[in-house]
Amino acid sequence: MKKIIFLVLIIVSFSCKNETPTNGKLNIVTTTTMITDLVKNIGGDYVNVQGLMGSGVDPHLFKASEGDVTKLVNANVIFYNGLHLEGKLVEVFEKMGTATKTPIALGETLDKNTLIGSDYFASNYDPHVWFDINYFKQFSKKVAEVLSEKDPTNAEAYSKNLAAYLEKLTALENNVVGIVNELPRDQRILVTAHDAFNYFGKAYDFEVVGLQGLSTATEAGVQDVQKLSAFIIEKQIKAIFVESSVPKRTIEALQAAVKSKGHEVTIGGTLYSDALGNAGTVEGTYIGMFEYNVNTIVNALK
Amino acid sequence: MNSAQLEIQLIASLVAVACAIPGTFLVLRKMAMISDAISHSILPGIVVGFFITQDLNSPLLIVLAALTGVITVVLVEYIQKTGLVKEDTAIGLVFPVLFSIGVLMIAKRANDIHLDIDAVLVGELALAPFDRLIISGVDVGPKSLWIIGSILIITIILLIAFFKELKLSTFDKGLAASLGFSPVIIHYGLMTVSSVTTVGAFDAVGAILVVALMIAPSATAYLLTTDLKKMLLLSIIFGVFSAISGYWFAHWLDASIAGSITTMLGFLFLMVYLFAPSKGVIAVLYREKQQRTEVSLLTFLLHLKNHDEVQERHVNHLNEHINWQKVRSKTVLDLALKNNMIIIDNHIVSLTSKGDEFTTQAIDYIITNEDAQIEDMKDDFFLFRG
Repeated sequence: MKKIIFLVLIIVSFSCKNETPTNGKLNIVTTTTMITDLVKNIGGDYVNVQGLMGSGVDPHLFKASEGDVTKLVNANVIFYNGLHLEGKLVEVFEKMGTATKTPIALGETLDKNTLIGSDYFASNYDPHVWFDINYFKQFSKKVAEVLSEKDPTNAEAYSKNLAAYLEKLTALENNVVGIVNELPRDQRILVTAHDAFNYFGKAYDFEVVGLQGLSTATEAGVQDVQKLSAFIIEKQIKAIFVESSVPKRTIEALQAAVKSKGHEVTIGGTLYSDALGNAGTVEGTYIGMFEYNVNTIVNALK
Repeated sequence: MNSAQLEIQLIASLVAVACAIPGTFLVLRKMAMISDAISHSILPGIVVGFFITQDLNSPLLIVLAALTGVITVVLVEYIQKTGLVKEDTAIGLVFPVLFSIGVLMIAKRANDIHLDIDAVLVGELALAPFDRLIISGVDVGPKSLWIIGSILIITIILLIAFFKELKLSTFDKGLAASLGFSPVIIHYGLMTVSSVTTVGAFDAVGAILVVALMIAPSATAYLLTTDLKKMLLLSIIFGVFSAISGYWFAHWLDASIAGSITTMLGFLFLMVYLFAPSKGVIAVLYREKQQRTEVSLLTFLLHLKNHDEVQERHVNHLNEHINWQKVRSKTVLDLALKNNMIIIDNHIVSLTSKGDEFTTQAIDYIITNEDAQIEDMKDDFFLFRG
């Protein structure tokens, strides 16, 4: 008994080491890859940005690792999406605010009246707001504002980065509108695994139909598949889409259901929904991801 | 080490202790899977709580979850009492039904909001230090530390107050009933404590870890002792050891803390399973080998006793006559020599008086069908075991 306690003490005391990478810069922790990319664009070299989630991670089902504890302990500012996107993390972040640590729910800073609500519960909103570029611009402004406030010496650099990034986003928007306009209005129907693209649909006049509902944990019902396959045949939809953070098989089941009724629908490609592509690739940035998604959708439906 | 890391280890250790106590009784009563069942059956409680409050963060959801846990236990007990199905079957009948009711309620009423067990109950040990309890502006530590601490204190008080009753109703229900306290009440009490501990610990550390911490340390301890007090103590030690070593394993890997602790629990069980002094696999294998040699020895001695003729007792003839392989006959011969049961004179083997006495007694026991006595006799006669 005594020996074991002694052993435990040895393990604990040997493992004590301090790790605080500060070098005078603000330590920023972000959740989704979209927000990580955004903060890197605004903060540049003046901040340390550490993202909790990698590419292909479903933010709702994210599990923290031991290293994330230290990241969060050392964070000065935490930027997250909010609106219940990050599941239990949101609840934790909300209570994390101290004198030296500021959690910012970017989604909560948006005008709630413009958000898409849930049919059943008025207090809950669709959290996938980054698919509307205007909301993402508001995110950018908020990030620049918070960074300037926390680190006034570099405020000028932040506002310069913000201006440059907003310009890029505007260019992206024009580009997207151009691509989408190649597609006649009656062909703009987007069928995906879960309802992540409602804001995208609202912005660019797409009818969005999700198979699974908002929560990625619930499974699609048999009726959902049947109804949706009838809908696909009726509207003569050419392609349906897989998402990077949701398993393929529900969409494949839908394709099989359509086939069994004697019609053909292709899988138009994989869309990035809750996370960006791998870091270092074009789809690893918000702008690259958005262009990729739009191109994939339009090319498959044309 | 920063304070968050220290707090995580403290919370994990307290959860380990709080789980080990009811876990020991659950393992002894063959109801270990009840904690796993509770982890699923609480879903309808959460959904109903959400319908009432429309708030995912309301404490009512956790209260209702604990209540559903108790309902699970009552239903399991009720089905089991009919005597038509076994304990594990009763558990397997109840929790999928309750879980499915929860799934159906979500599908019918709340399909477009993020609502599942994960959203409400499945805590992350890594995030526990960031959810602080603030009393009138003063930070008094992580909330889950207080929740688990309170559950632990209540569990320990109940354990000390009802230890005798728990022990008796676990091992001898009939005697417990005849002594005047109802094993059913003790049973429900234990199950309620397990349910509350499970739900409380879920909120702090997550589901798999709770199930693992309830079962693995107690199962490991059960391999080492049959004394209830020692088993409780060992379960607690194993649980806490896994919690702390698992944490540093996660630190080294930068991986999930709960996953690493569970891995440590599994590893610890494997080690004890292999190397436990009496029930361990290696000890059992060794004992079987010893037994085989000693049975051979006895056969050999009986052969010597039955044959006076010289050619039957020649060393080289042993292989042919008793049909042994050379290696084995040498082992047996050496063992007999070391124990002074035979002498070898010019390649002829004879029994000594000690060997003769041993063989006579052994025959007596075999004839009277008291084979077990031979084991005691071996202790008297053998200087060296096989």
